[in-house]
Amino acid sequence: MLDCKLYFQPESLTVALDLLAKAEKRLLPLAGGTDIVPAMSKNKLNVAGLVDLSKIQELHQIKIEGNEISLGSLCTFQEIETSHLIRTKVPLLADAAGLVGSPQIRNAGTVGGNIANASPAADTVTALIALDADVRLRSTAYARTMSLKELLCGAGKTRILPQEIITEITFKILQPGSKGGFIKLGRRKALAIARMNMALIFSVTEGRINFARVGLGAVGPNPCRSNALENTLIGQEPSDSLVEDFVMEAEREVARMLGSRPSAAYKCEAVKGIARDILSSLFSSSEMVVE
Amino acid sequence: MPDYSTIGKSIQRIDGIDKVLGKSQYIADIDLPGTLCLKVLRSDVAHALVKKIDVSEVERIPGVVRIFTHVDIPGINGYGIIVKDQPALTDKVRFKGDAIALVAAENEEIAKRALKLIKVDFEKLPPIYDVWTALKEDAPAIHSRGNILTVSKIKKGDAEAVLNQAEVVVSRSYTTQRVEHCYIETEGGVAYIENGILVIKVSTQNPHYDRRDVARVLGLPMNKVRVIQATTGGGFGGKLDISVQCFLGLAAIKLGRPVRMVYDRQESFVATGKRHPFFIDYTTAANKEGKLLAVKVKIVGDTGAYASYGPATLVRAAVHATGPYEVLNVDIDALCVYTNNPISGAMRGFGTPQMAFACESQMDLLAEALGISPVEMRRRNILQQGSITATGQKMNKSVGIGKTLEAAWEKALQVMPGLGDERR
Amino acid sequence: MAEFHLEMKVNGKPIVLDVDPGLRLLDVLRDILHLTGTKEGCGEGECGACSVILNGKLVDSCLVLAPQANGQEVITIEGIAQNGELDSLQKAFLEAGAVQCGYCTPGMILAAKVLLDHNSTPSRLEISKSISGNICRCTGYTKIIQAVEIAASRIATKEGADHA
Ligand code: FES
Ligand code: FES
Repeated sequence: MLDCKLYFQPESLTVALDLLAKAEKRLLPLAGGTDIVPAMSKNKLNVAGLVDLSKIQELHQIKIEGNEISLGSLCTFQEIETSHLIRTKVPLLADAAGLVGSPQIRNAGTVGGNIANASPAADTVTALIALDADVRLRSTAYARTMSLKELLCGAGKTRILPQEIITEITFKILQPGSKGGFIKLGRRKALAIARMNMALIFSVTEGRINFARVGLGAVGPNPCRSNALENTLIGQEPSDSLVEDFVMEAEREVARMLGSRPSAAYKCEAVKGIARDILSSLFSSSEMVVE
Repeated sequence: MPDYSTIGKSIQRIDGIDKVLGKSQYIADIDLPGTLCLKVLRSDVAHALVKKIDVSEVERIPGVVRIFTHVDIPGINGYGIIVKDQPALTDKVRFKGDAIALVAAENEEIAKRALKLIKVDFEKLPPIYDVWTALKEDAPAIHSRGNILTVSKIKKGDAEAVLNQAEVVVSRSYTTQRVEHCYIETEGGVAYIENGILVIKVSTQNPHYDRRDVARVLGLPMNKVRVIQATTGGGFGGKLDISVQCFLGLAAIKLGRPVRMVYDRQESFVATGKRHPFFIDYTTAANKEGKLLAVKVKIVGDTGAYASYGPATLVRAAVHATGPYEVLNVDIDALCVYTNNPISGAMRGFGTPQMAFACESQMDLLAEALGISPVEMRRRNILQQGSITATGQKMNKSVGIGKTLEAAWEKALQVMPGLGDERR
Repeated sequence: MAEFHLEMKVNGKPIVLDVDPGLRLLDVLRDILHLTGTKEGCGEGECGACSVILNGKLVDSCLVLAPQANGQEVITIEGIAQNGELDSLQKAFLEAGAVQCGYCTPGMILAAKVLLDHNSTPSRLEISKSISGNICRCTGYTKIIQAVEIAASRIATKEGADHA
C-alpha cells in the first residue's frame, strides 16, 4: 500500500484551488497518476496528500480561442492523439502524444502531468516547446501565464508554486500550409522513454523556408528549442543538401549541449539519424501539413 | 502413420481454460488465512564478512514475529543444483543482494519497516567484478576452494600444429553480456505444515531438486518435505534454482504458521540467476577451399557469486564451441569462474547462444577472407551423416542441420530479396 | 487515516467500499474483491499484466489509485465471459496456442478486446499497436496476433450474419 494520508477528489477547480491554498502540509495535484503512482510505490515522493483533478470537467477541453489553441491540462495523450482539431492543425503534437508510453499510459497520462513532471525526455513537452507554448496557472488569488520554456527549470523541476494548478496549455495556431513532425528514438517502440526526440515546424514561401522551429528533447535537463538548427533552415531551399547541413548542425548542437557527458558519443551520432529521418520525410511527403 | 489419439494432433492445453478466464492460481493469487509475510534483508555490499547482526530494535516492533539469520539454519547451510555453495542466509557476503536476514511479520508494511532497522556490521573485503581479476593468483578467494570453479577441456587432433601452417587463420575475442530472464511472474511461494509435513507451494521449474535442497538446509528427512509447483508464470531456466523455498521452509517450521513471500521485480532482478557473460578467445583455421581445419577456443564464464548451473553451462559451451560444423583438430578450454557479480545460471540455450555468436562470427570472417559466400562457407563444413563432432561422436543417424541451413537460406531470400546476389 | 468512499462498477456489479486512498486499483481488485485474474508483473506500468478496462479504455491498474476509479466502470478478465460462455477472444487464444504460462493472458485479452470493441477488422499493425503495452515473455507474440485475427474474423462474420 502506498503512503497517502490525505486524498481529495474535488469536482470543481475552485474547490481544488481552495484545498491547495489552505493545506497545512504540501498537497500534490494528481492528474493521470502514471508518474506519481510509481514514484509513491518507490517511496520517492514526499507529500502529505493528493488532490485528484480527474473529476474537474473544465480541465478536459481542447478548443480554439481566437488565434490560439487551448488544451485543458487534464487532456490525456490519447485524447490529443485522436482529436480531429489537433490532427489537422498541429499534426506534430498528435504524433508526439501518440508516441508516449503505451496505449495504457496514453489513456491515463495527461499533458499537464507531462509538463509538471518535467522529465528531460517528455515527448509532448518537446513538441510544445517547438510550438512556443504558454502555460496558464491558477491559484485562488490569481491567474498567471508563463511560457513553457520559462516554467521548466531543470530535470524534474518547475516554477509551479505549491498552491497553483496548471489549467491550460496554449499556443498560436500554425500558418496553414506549414509542416511539422515529431520523431523519437527509444530502445524499443512501445514503452521506451525517449533516448532523444525532436520536433520540427517550418513553412516555405517562394521556394524558401521562411519560418522554422526545432525542439530537442532528452539532450539537456529539459526539452528546448535550438536556434542553431532553426537558423540552418531559415532562408534556404528545401533540398537534399539542406538535409545534410541540418544533420551536421544537429551533431554539433548536441555536442555543444552535452559537452563531455558520457552519453555524448552516442547521442551525437544518433541525432544525425533522427535529424535526417524527420527532415527528409517532411521534405518528401505530402503529409503532416497544417490545414 | 497409424491414427493416434494424441500424437500428430493439436491438443488444447489442459490449463488453458483457467488461464484465459483468469482463474489459474499463481502464487500471488493464493489466499491462505493467517499467513505471515516474509522479507529478506539483502546485502548492499558485494564482498564482506558479516560480523554482527543487531535485531534488537526490530524485534520490538509490534507485528514483527521473528528475525532469522545464519545461526538459525537447522541443517547444512548450503544449497545448489551442482555445487552446494550458496547459503540460505549468509555470514559471508559474496554479491550485492546476498541474503543476510529473514523477517517474518504480520503484514508486508511491517516487514518492510523491519528490514530498514536491522543493523549489520560488515568487515569489507575487496570486491571482484571481473573474471580477469578473479583469475589472478593473488586475487582474494570468494569461496574457500578458490575462484576457478571448473575447467572443462575438449582436445582432438593437434590444433596447435595445424593453426601454425594453415592458409587462413582468423583470431578474435568476443564478449557477451549478462541477461535477466525477466519471466513475467516474479518468484514467490507459500508454505505451511500439514500433518507434520512441510508443504511448500512455489513458482518453480524444479520441484524435485527444490525438495532435496530444502530438506538439506532444514535438516529434515526428505519424506517430511513436500514441494508443489504452483502455476508458474515463466521460468526460462531462471526458476531452476532455489529462490524463496528455503526461506519459506525455515519460517514455516520454526513458527508453525503459514508463510508467504513474493519478490517484487527489483528483488527478482537483484537476487536471481542470469545468463552467463562469456569472454571468448576464438581462433579458426581453414584451407583455401573453405574447409575448417582447426579451432582453438578459450571460454571464461562469469558465474558470479555462486555456482548455480555454471559448471554445466560451461561444459555445454565447450561442447558447442565448434557450432554445427565438422572440425578435425580441436583445442577447447572452458573455465567457470567466481566473481562478486550477480549469480549466473541456466537460461534458454545454456551457454550455446553465446558460443553461436562467436562461432558464426568466425565463419563470416573466414568467408570474407576467402572470398566465398557466408552460406557456402557453412555448406562446406556443416555436420552430416558420418561426421565426427568435436567430442568424437560419430553422427550415424538423422542429421538435420544441412536441410535446416538450406531452408533458412531459402526463407532469407524470400524475405530479403537480393540477398547474396553478388556471391552465392 | 481518512478512508475514501469508493463507488464503482466492477464487471457490471456495483461496488461500494471504504478504502485506504493509498491502495491502487490493482490492490482493490486482487486483495479486496479477490479478482486475482488481474496480475502484477512490474508494478510500474511496464508490462501490462495488470491491464483492466476503465470506462472503455485500457489502463494499467498498478498506475491507478483506487479513488481515481470512483464513479467509473471497471472490466477485468473475470467479466468478459458471458453466462458461462467464453468470449470469442478467450476461445481464439486457446485455439491459436496463444497461451503459454498464461500470466500475460488476461491483460492481452483485455487489450485486444478494447481494440475489437471499436474495430472488428483490424490490420496486423493495429493489432500489434493495441497490445504494444503488454509484454509476453513466452510466446513471441505471433500466436497472440493470430488469435486476435481469428477472433476478429469470427466477430466480423457474426456481425455480417446479424445484418443479413
Ligand atoms: S504490473 Fe502494472 S504494468 Fe506491470
Ligand atoms: S504466456 Fe507467459 S508471458 Fe505470455
